[in-house]
Amino acid sequence: MSKTQKVLLACFGAYIGIFVLLVVIYGFSQHKNNEFQIQNEFKLVNWVNLGVFSINRAVLYLFISAILTIVTMVWISGRMMQRPNKIQTAVEVLFSLMRNNITRGNMPDSMAAKWFPFIGTLFLFIWFCNLVGYLPLPTNSEQKFNLFGAHIPSFALYAATANISVPLVLALVVFFSFIIVGIRTQGPLGYLKSLIPAGVHGAMLFLIFPIEVISTLMRLLSLTIRLWANIFAGHIILLFLAGGLAVILGLQALGWFALPAGILIYLFELGLVATLQAFIFATLAAIYIAGAATHH
Amino acid sequence: MFVHLIPIAAASGITKGFGIAVGGGLGAVGAGVGIGIIFGKVIEGVVRQPEMRDEITSIQWLGFALTEAVFFYGLVAGLLSYVLT
Repeated sequence: MSKTQKVLLACFGAYIGIFVLLVVIYGFSQHKNNEFQIQNEFKLVNWVNLGVFSINRAVLYLFISAILTIVTMVWISGRMMQRPNKIQTAVEVLFSLMRNNITRGNMPDSMAAKWFPFIGTLFLFIWFCNLVGYLPLPTNSEQKFNLFGAHIPSFALYAATANISVPLVLALVVFFSFIIVGIRTQGPLGYLKSLIPAGVHGAMLFLIFPIEVISTLMRLLSLTIRLWANIFAGHIILLFLAGGLAVILGLQALGWFALPAGILIYLFELGLVATLQAFIFATLAAIYIAGAATHH
Repeated sequence: MFVHLIPIAAASGITKGFGIAVGGGLGAVGAGVGIGIIFGKVIEGVVRQPEMRDEITSIQWLGFALTEAVFFYGLVAGLLSYVLT
């Protein structure tokens, strides 16, 4: 038996052993849970009261990711080198993804040059928002823990994009930019006409035209919900698998049983979903803006 | 198909969670079928034309993300029914 196999087998044995130990100690008896409310994990408590401009954890996450986006990108572009180090190579891969795949792949070249800053910023900002969301930060001021006399808010996962208002605003910006682009290039009536697919005449117009208008309006909703629900549901699943389920049902052994699945989901969310959702949002923005400018 | 379950659910006092269960479960069915079809077709396409691999891969992720979102539409509808009842 090779060494890796032995280590894996030992890990699996320890996992089963601790599970059995927990079952033996606590048994399968349920305890009624009254304190822990799942919705409190996503509650927004105002830290600084300024009316509409109150500062809570969603605002904090928004600021962190906005500052990170600006600072890292300006810092890296300021110290570009002839022979790139690892970070510069990574950012260059990201840059070529944004320029070649997202913008040029979906837009004509003249538009791509004009819209690349917008689409690229959209991608980077959403990407940073999602990634910051998977760092546990001490932001849950509902539950505090005591560390040498200091009351520190417990560590929690939250993302700016897990709050529906941030994706909604981003989607609104995209929505209005493609409508304005359509009206500027084709005129108001021309843009409405361009919504109708080619080859539709006569009575079918009354059926097709409302459907096309509604589907254009639904783009706003689908852009918002796709980004928000992906991140939000990911956080809920992580919360459940990393102990929330055990607390709600009151079964101690279940928490340990579900932990490996939680780690796997965490890696999946961090490695795939965070990047993929930023990519999709930027790609769809590029497709919509390019589609509004061309007659089809 | 599921309507006859509602009185049973109401009798056992789980109506609030029922919306999430139906929304999430049926959403997962749709998204599961869709994602399976997408990846199956991608394998088929790459086997037929291996030189198109890069282009197919980039389209594959677009389709995957669009289909995966369907699951979340179901889940959001379930959450809405949970909040509104």
